[in-house]
Amino acid sequence: MGKVKADFEYDVVIVGGGPAGLSAGIYLGRKGVKTLLIERGRFCGAKNLFGGVVYTESIKTLAPEFPNVEPFPCERQVTEEGYLILTERGYVKLTHSKEDRTHSFTAFRAKFDPFLADVAQRAGVDLAPKTKVVDFLKDDDGNISGVIVDRPKSFFDSSPASISAKVVILAEGVNRVLSQKAGLYSRDFQPEEVVLSVKEVLQLPKGELEKRLGLKEDEGLALEILGFITQGYPGLGFLYTNKNSISFGIGVFLSELAKNRVRPYELLERAKTHPFFQRLFEGAEVLEYGAHLIPEWGYKGFPKFYGNGVLVCGDAGGFVNPLFKEGTNLAIYSGLLAGETAFLALEKGDFSEKTLKVYEEKLKESYFYKDLALAKNMKDLFLRNKHIFSTYPELLYEAMSLFFSAQGKFKREVIKEIITLIKKKRGFLGVLKDFLSFARLFW
Amino acid sequence: MTAETSKEVWVYIEQEEKAIHPVSFELLGVAKRLAQDLEGITAGVLLGHEVSDLTSEIFAYGADKVYIVSHPALAYYRHRAYAKALYEVAKRYKPEILLLPATPLGRDLAGGVATLLETGLTADVTELSIDKATKNLLMTRPAYGGNIMATIICPDHRPQMASVRPRIFPMPERKEGRTGEIITVEVELSEEEVGVERIGFIPKEKTVKIELAEVIVAGGKGIGGKEGFAKLFELSKLLNGEVGASRLAVEAGWISYEHQVGQTGKTVRPKVYLAVGISGAIQHRAGMQNSDCIISINIDPKADIFKISDLGIVGDWKKIIPALIERIKKEKGLG
Amino acid sequence: MLNLLVSIKQVPDTTNIRINPETGTLIREGVPAVINPYDISALALACNLKKTYGGKITVITMGPPQARLALKEAIEYFADRIILLTDRRFAGADTLATSYTLAEAIKFLEKTDRPFDLYLFGKQAIDGDTAQVGPGVAARLNVPVITYTIKIEELDLEKRKIVVQRKTERGIEILSARLPVLLTCEKEAGHPVFSPLSAILQAQKAEPEVFGADGRIPYDLNRLGLKGSPTRVHRVYTPEIKKQGKMINLDEVGVEAAVEEIIKLFKAKGVL
Repeated sequence: MGKVKADFEYDVVIVGGGPAGLSAGIYLGRKGVKTLLIERGRFCGAKNLFGGVVYTESIKTLAPEFPNVEPFPCERQVTEEGYLILTERGYVKLTHSKEDRTHSFTAFRAKFDPFLADVAQRAGVDLAPKTKVVDFLKDDDGNISGVIVDRPKSFFDSSPASISAKVVILAEGVNRVLSQKAGLYSRDFQPEEVVLSVKEVLQLPKGELEKRLGLKEDEGLALEILGFITQGYPGLGFLYTNKNSISFGIGVFLSELAKNRVRPYELLERAKTHPFFQRLFEGAEVLEYGAHLIPEWGYKGFPKFYGNGVLVCGDAGGFVNPLFKEGTNLAIYSGLLAGETAFLALEKGDFSEKTLKVYEEKLKESYFYKDLALAKNMKDLFLRNKHIFSTYPELLYEAMSLFFSAQGKFKREVIKEIITLIKKKRGFLGVLKDFLSFARLFW
Repeated sequence: MTAETSKEVWVYIEQEEKAIHPVSFELLGVAKRLAQDLEGITAGVLLGHEVSDLTSEIFAYGADKVYIVSHPALAYYRHRAYAKALYEVAKRYKPEILLLPATPLGRDLAGGVATLLETGLTADVTELSIDKATKNLLMTRPAYGGNIMATIICPDHRPQMASVRPRIFPMPERKEGRTGEIITVEVELSEEEVGVERIGFIPKEKTVKIELAEVIVAGGKGIGGKEGFAKLFELSKLLNGEVGASRLAVEAGWISYEHQVGQTGKTVRPKVYLAVGISGAIQHRAGMQNSDCIISINIDPKADIFKISDLGIVGDWKKIIPALIERIKKEKGLG
Repeated sequence: MLNLLVSIKQVPDTTNIRINPETGTLIREGVPAVINPYDISALALACNLKKTYGGKITVITMGPPQARLALKEAIEYFADRIILLTDRRFAGADTLATSYTLAEAIKFLEKTDRPFDLYLFGKQAIDGDTAQVGPGVAARLNVPVITYTIKIEELDLEKRKIVVQRKTERGIEILSARLPVLLTCEKEAGHPVFSPLSAILQAQKAEPEVFGADGRIPYDLNRLGLKGSPTRVHRVYTPEIKKQGKMINLDEVGVEAAVEEIIKLFKAKGVL
């Protein structure tokens, strides 16, 4: 494209109205930068039926008054958090009561994202929902200089509208189509790089949620579930309490589902027959269901985070830490850094890689980049070492069964039985090896 | 019984091209019951041009009185002319109740007339009765796709107006030779104030009148395609009936919209409704649950349609429908 | 230049309506609100007319404060002016009070600006299905109404004449009317509009002009809301389900016996 004037002119265009894009937008809007955010869905958050846990600290960077906002965009404060380890027959539950009751909240994205969108609009960001970016505008040197959308220019000109931008921030989510088009990724993601997560929102008769989970009306529970829930496939289940419902789901590596020809819904249905969930979900009505991909390519699959006139953040950049369920958190932080970088470039008046490289430096200094670097082999470990998802949950449960039925027995015999069990199931050497390889992730 | 003391229950008689829409007779039937409860009388209101021949039919179906407005401006239905005429008659003769059919024309007319009379109007009513204590009309209509029924009253304004769904109330008995009082009302109308003129009409190519069928063979998603519906047509023809369909079957393009039964389609009350491969979503049931006898065939024993069926058959329709066709042919001596 | 008025209503998205199986009541929580689909046709028709003839589109709605979102969305259909009628005293209105509230506001707009040539309504709202408000407003404005409009064949502003196709039970009526006229629109009336980016951006920033029962529009307070509504909800209940009759399993009884059961009923009902 030559020096034809674009139909709309902005300093920064952000593609994607999730937490990452909105965070970048809020930062830039507050700096007075002329910013346009383009979102495919009917409104920000519309494409996300579900939610999870959001963290106060990161939200405060966007809305300092949080959680004192009206209407409150979250469901319940997380007052109890932990793990549920399942075997076919039973479970071991390990939870922790949170002292800081405002540390994190469960939320529906369809409610939470509009809250951030509102903050962004008040910061001066222009929003274009229901609009899809189909291509980039490029300058004479082939550098990205804006975007082209599917919407026409005006009521009288049906050709697609073009929008010029000095910096384009890609926060498009897991599908990363534009990031690839911009040359930041050299290939499509592989099935072993994404987790397919299927979820349901289940509603219980009034008062039953609290009764069955031992919560008060303002208390919430967040559980990660391991073991039988995934039928031993590498992945996790999760359970969050919303105001009047429970989000329940399972995420398993796409490659494993494909290889074993497992339908994720079957896993979910099967899990619901487990006594723990049968009791919990008795009489529940499924309000919503759906599936979502979670990027797990992590450190090893990281893209180039910047190009001439372009930055990538959020899921599109692979910023998800599954072990500590930090998705929105990393989206917000990476979005903010992208915003900071774009602002810096605008101040300098240079939008080439040379300046935008600062983004990578900023990322490398962040805690989450270091986290992901630290856990860079985790995915491979999980995919390789399936004991974590089958052998250990069973082992733990059976050992506990022995331990808790030890009354009336000589305790040394009980310990012996447990040791025999470990030997039989995995062998001491195996346990040691697994322990070391896990520990090595963090050292 | 004098006109001053007896309350009148009116039915708007819908006519086009000098033919009375049968729903008007259904309403005369229910009006009669309401009038009895009020110790009043039933009247029909007939608007048109040169339509006095139709009064005998209105009496035959139970009206005690007929109000008639005849005017060239009423030669065919136009909202303003009809609304003004009906309004004038009602204003002058003060009925207690005014029922209109919930047909497209009836609904078009009702909204305007109620506004001119500054009275309440309840749309799409499926049940009518008189409250014994207050003598108010209880008008019940389905809300939210038939999931809820709401009973509406209009305590302080008269007339109490309702538009009533066709095929909800039974056709009353026709008594030839019945007569009653005819009151001719003069209403001033001008082309100028009517404002609208019909300059053309494209009749529907073939109108399917499933509302009036005594037997309906209806198919749903389980039918699987046009070939399946061909079998249902064969069966319905043997029974002198019509073919109905669920929304899913219509949306799949297996059969045209004219055949759709349910909330967004037609309401029917045949003597026999044979539901084949229809699960019976509440929206569908809303359009057929008043049928005299419901027979359903479905592969899924948990299908909702069975809950309202007089006879439910769990099984594959492809086995039973051809056998049924052969059996009826034999019965009729065709096989 | 055409001066168009479109009246819309925000309704719960019925594709998402859920009923609490225990109480039979509506679960309103989490049900998104949308513009009534027939009103979308009216908006699209207005948009297409403005593209052809030029002019101005005013969109009006009566509803709770959040109905402003429906009006903002109307901007995506080329609307120029959006009017929200909201007041506690409007609440609980039946169709008579609703048509009064709307008609008085429309008269006010005409007095303070200029008269409309066309009033466009949806044929009915999917939450109430009454189809009464359009004809009611026409009666109050003293203009002709054409319901179930599927197409505008011809519009002559100089001769103040319009030719409209209207769907009836028996076919399609072609009607000629003089302006102004009120049309209620079927789905077919407006071709879908794929709004341009300019309108999408404008819609985000637009805010409606808000009117209440505060005296700017000269309302008779006794004719508003619940107070001005002759009808009352007397009772709400879940419909009784007809009792289940005989059940047979084809695999158990066989085809022949099942056919005989059907034939028996056919004969009992006199259809065979």
